[in-house]
This record gives sequence, structure tokens and C-alpha cells, in this order.
Amino acid sequence: MEISSEKSLWYLFIEGDLNAFSSLFKHFYPMLHNYGLKISGNTELTEDSLQSFFVYLHEHRHTIGNVTNIKAYLFISYRRSLLNNLKKERKYTSYDDSNILESNFSLSIEELSTKQETFKLKSVILIKLLNSLSAREREAIYLKYYSDLNTKEIAEVMDITYQSVLNTLQKAFTKLRNTSESSLIQNILNS
Amino acid sequence: MKNIDQHFLDNLIKDQSFINWIKKSNRNDIQYWNSWISNNPEQIETIELAKSIVLGIRFKETVIAEEKIDIELQKALGTIQSKTKPVLPFYKQKKSFAFYGIAASILMIFGLFIGLDKYNYNTTTVHKTAFGEIINLTLPDGTSVVLNGNSTISYDKENSRDINLIGEAYFKVKPIPATKAKFWVTTNDLKVEVYGTQFHVNTRDEKTDVVLDEGSIHLVLDNGITKKMIPGEFVSFSKNTENITHKKVNLQVPYGLWRDGTYIFNNLTLKEVMKNMEYTYGITTNFDTKELEKKLISGGIPNKNLKICLAAIEKSANVNIIQNNDTLTITNNN
Repeated sequence: MEISSEKSLWYLFIEGDLNAFSSLFKHFYPMLHNYGLKISGNTELTEDSLQSFFVYLHEHRHTIGNVTNIKAYLFISYRRSLLNNLKKERKYTSYDDSNILESNFSLSIEELSTKQETFKLKSVILIKLLNSLSAREREAIYLKYYSDLNTKEIAEVMDITYQSVLNTLQKAFTKLRNTSESSLIQNILNS
Repeated sequence: MKNIDQHFLDNLIKDQSFINWIKKSNRNDIQYWNSWISNNPEQIETIELAKSIVLGIRFKETVIAEEKIDIELQKALGTIQSKTKPVLPFYKQKKSFAFYGIAASILMIFGLFIGLDKYNYNTTTVHKTAFGEIINLTLPDGTSVVLNGNSTISYDKENSRDINLIGEAYFKVKPIPATKAKFWVTTNDLKVEVYGTQFHVNTRDEKTDVVLDEGSIHLVLDNGITKKMIPGEFVSFSKNTENITHKKVNLQVPYGLWRDGTYIFNNLTLKEVMKNMEYTYGITTNFDTKELEKKLISGGIPNKNLKICLAAIEKSANVNIIQNNDTLTITNNN
């Protein structure tokens, strides 16, 4: 979606145009669905909260202030609304809090592209390494490379400073590099 | 531990020339960075880390089936539409059983189901006439209603003085002086509020006509305006067009009304008259020529059954009406 057409779509949506609403829905549903699933690990909860999120968005469209970055805005508000739902949910289920947090943004081997240029590592090892990162680091990586958000947008979505996004990414990749190097050496020693 | 130049790293990952070097997309940039790196070997760790961050992790895109998105979209649109129904004025909120009935049947057609627990039909009495069927009703409070063909009235069993009408009916409301209990007729366009009186209501043709014969009544139009009517007056209002007519019925005003099983027309065109017949008897009319549509009719037409009705119209307009099942053809009487 081009920026300008996205802007005019957004304008029409604020005016109450349901066709514009439908276009936005179709465009952003897949990425928000994926993001929500990563946070909650629960398809039903993700889809229910996406439903109420979009309906809420339409109902309260007049109170939405000036939005400069639509994608970032949707990620931020959806994240917030999903986290609220998760909190409610947690009251009724006896999950361990830390358990849930750690399972956030767990990545699976199927999600990796087979062509990895970053590290000369097998996907199995890479995914293990990725999942050994903290949930926060995984979320930053996910938003950057999967959802294609830039550093500034990630800062807004995760409600942290620009610098800490950079630090988080840097820390994550330093870890990955260190581990990948040592496992490379390991591989060489083993062979 | 490795030597990472924090500030340098931040700049690198934003540097387009550096990104071009990683992606091998610009010869000059490749050359530049290759020579820069060989001249600055102490920065190799920072360079490698920046390269990792820019390249990142490649993810496969997970695809969600279009059908799935469509289903979810329709669900959301459904919720939005059910929530953004226009807020009805207070008087309609309580009483629009007919409205809910229509809404429900429309929703059924689209295969949706909504909970109607609140408006359980068992507490609602409905009288419906077929095409050409006229019934005389006496409501529990003593009010008499003549319901014309193809018309429906409905009311809550607990309160027969608050009724909904689709179609055409003549009311003789029994006054209850002791309690001054009001009587209401609600249509799609307006609401008639009375104590005890005789009046005619017709909701055909996307408007509601009210003719008052006796007593006095208040109308509350759908747009919130109230009107007081005195006997002999005629009010027509359409919610859709917001057209409003408020006149005294006299020989100069064309009108059509229906009372005690008789249509009374005054200078009404044959086309208008036939429209009345079409609604009541479920027929369609074809006019042989355009001039025929404009013929004016005045006088009473008995509305006991279609045959008598048509015979009277033939006579008063001096035309021929040929009936073929549900279709009428009107030709000049030569």
C-alpha cells in the first residue's frame, strides 16, 4: 500500500466510509493477526481481540487524534488492547505469569526462510538461539524483520526509547553472533 | 570481550552506502567499504555486528487465507452495522415490534440470527390480513379497528392501546375518561396519539396518511416534530423524503380515504386510485394509454371485494378493466 493512498484511505475511514474500513481491515488483518498470535500464543483470543479492536476503532474513529504513521498506530493500539485482554484472561486461568511471558514470541523453524544470509548456521540452531533471547529482544527482532517496522516505529510500539531499541537489537545480535561462532567452532571440533 | 563502537554502529545501520555494501548493490559503495575495512581492521567486530543487524533474520511470510479474512471482515461489519443503527426516539424504542419483526426477517434472509429474547413474539398479538381480506376487530380495550387487505397490526398483549400498523386501517378508539388513557398508533413514519376518536391511517407507498374524523389527535413525526389535528384534517408524512402535507379535507384537495369499507376519492387520478387497489388486493395494473392514468375520480367506491370495486371504478371513470389473474388492464371505454 502506498503511503499516499494509505493516508487517503485513513481519512475516508475517519469519515465513516465502510469501504475504506474494509480495505484497511484486509490490509492490516494478516500482520496484526500474526503479531497478536506471537504475543498471546492463542488463536481464539487473538481473533476475538482483533474483532473487537477493529470494531472499537470504527466506533471511536472521531476521538482518534492525528495519526502520522498508520501502521505504527495500529500496532501500538492493537498491542495495548490485546495485552488488556490477556490480563483479563489470566485472571481466570491459572497460568504462571513468567511462563506466559517467556512463551511470548517463541519462534518456530517453519517461520524461518531457508535462505539465511546472516549466519552460516543451520535453521535448527538459529531458532534455538533466537528462542534463548529474552521475550523483549525477540519482539524487537520480530517487529523489525517480520513486520518490517523501522527502529522509530518499534520504539513507539514497544513503548521504549529509540536508543533502547537499538541496544536491544544490538544485544540480541551480539548474543547470536557469539553463540553462532562458538557453535561453528564446536562443529569444526566435532567433525 | 569484543570492541564495539556504539556510536559508530548506530550510524552504520542507518547509512545507505553501508547497506548497499552489505547488499552488494552499488559498485562504488562496495569498493569504498572494502578498502575502508582493510584500513580499519580494529572496527571489524562493529562492522560484522552492523551487518548482522541490517541483514537480520529472514522470516517466511505466513499467509492467512483470503476467505478467512473475508469472514472476519463480514463479522466486524455486521457488528458495526448492528451497533450503528440510528438511535430511535424514545417512543419508538419501546414499541416497534413491527420494526423488529421486519428487521428479523431481513436478517434471516441473510442467514444471520440475532437474539430476540427481549422481544419474544409470544407476548405480541398480531393481526394480519391477506390481499383483499378485510377484518373487523375489537381490541381488548373496546377500540374497534377495521383492517384493510394486506395490512398488519401488532401490539403487546399487556397493552392493546399501543399498536403498530403496516398498511391501512380505520380506528374508532374507545375513550377511557376515568384514566384519560391514551391510545397510540405507531407507523414507520409517525406516531398518532389520541384519547378517544375516529381516524384513518394508511402507511402505503412509503408514507403515512392520517385523516381525522372525530375528536382530536397529536402526531409525533419521525423527525421529532409534533402536529395537532382537528376533525376533517389530513396529514401526510414520509420519513424518507420528509415531505409533509397538512390540509383540511375539502373538495379542492385531492385525497383518498377509506372508511367503513368504502373508499372515498376526491379528484384523485386513476393511477393513484389503482395504487390503493394494488396494495390492498395484491394486483398489478397496466394502463393502455398515458391519458388513462390521469383520469380523475371522485366519489365512494365500495371496498367489499375486488369485483364490486372494479365495477364501480369502471363506471365512475368510464373505463374498461380486464382482469387476467393478478393483472388488470385498463382501456378506454368505446
